[in-house]
Amino acid sequence: MDRRKKVIAFFKVLGFNFDISKFDDRLIAQKLVCLLEFRGIDLGYSCSLYVRGPYSPDLTQDLFAFTREFEEMETGARLTAEEKEAADDLGRIFGLKPVTLEVGATYGYYTVRQKSDPLEASRQVRRLKPFYSEAQVALGISKAKEYLFRPTRKDLEDLKKETAIWQRASLKSLEN
Amino acid sequence: MQNDTLSILAEADRLNAKVFSLVRLKLLASLAALGPDGATYRELKAALNINDGVLFANLNVLKDMGYLTSEKITSEGKELELYTITTEGQDEWKRTRTWLCRFLHCGV
Repeated sequence: MDRRKKVIAFFKVLGFNFDISKFDDRLIAQKLVCLLEFRGIDLGYSCSLYVRGPYSPDLTQDLFAFTREFEEMETGARLTAEEKEAADDLGRIFGLKPVTLEVGATYGYYTVRQKSDPLEASRQVRRLKPFYSEAQVALGISKAKEYLFRPTRKDLEDLKKETAIWQRASLKSLEN
Repeated sequence: MQNDTLSILAEADRLNAKVFSLVRLKLLASLAALGPDGATYRELKAALNINDGVLFANLNVLKDMGYLTSEKITSEGKELELYTITTEGQDEWKRTRTWLCRFLHCGV
């Protein structure tokens, strides 16, 4: 099946009514696809770094060449369980907010693709997006961390061990 | 080899010499990749690290040559200037890029 049909299926699940004439909609489309790629869902539109941040010129070509399909959500493609989970998380964590998506995708590009450490990735986001406020950048980065770096079972066990002593103390204080 | 070099240099006559400034090449290369989507002034300024005076002047030169267009758009309630490459701009960029590649023996 054509790669754009899968993207349209994601848009459908996310409730994203794409309008080519809107700059923000074109931005949202790009950042959704890039964030999905950084989460491990390869839709066939490779995202690289451009002046607009992480971006796929191939997706732009398809958005303009098959506008009607995107705007009317014409697709027969269905999402797998893993894809559905990634879409649901994307919608729940980011919503369809252009700034948050843009900051989040840029942070994701540096941490996932460039393997930058969190500090360096944050620095790069601020360099590329100096026109966003500190609060907007912090929010976008925090959302990207939540979306892209889910704790493993081991992480959760380690966290449990680390906090167990505090939990016990707190329970004890309730008993007294 | 000398003949080749001469013919490559002769081909340069078909190019627009006004495109050959680092800032203009950066702008054309950046906007060519984005096609009809374009980029806002603030994105170009931040990503290419060009100061306002230089950026504004060069964008206007490229606009005057018919290689770029600009329009006001609204993003998250803010009015921004969006720059988009034209078909003529894409063609000129392709010609320039192809020639530069020949000139520098890309891939050789």
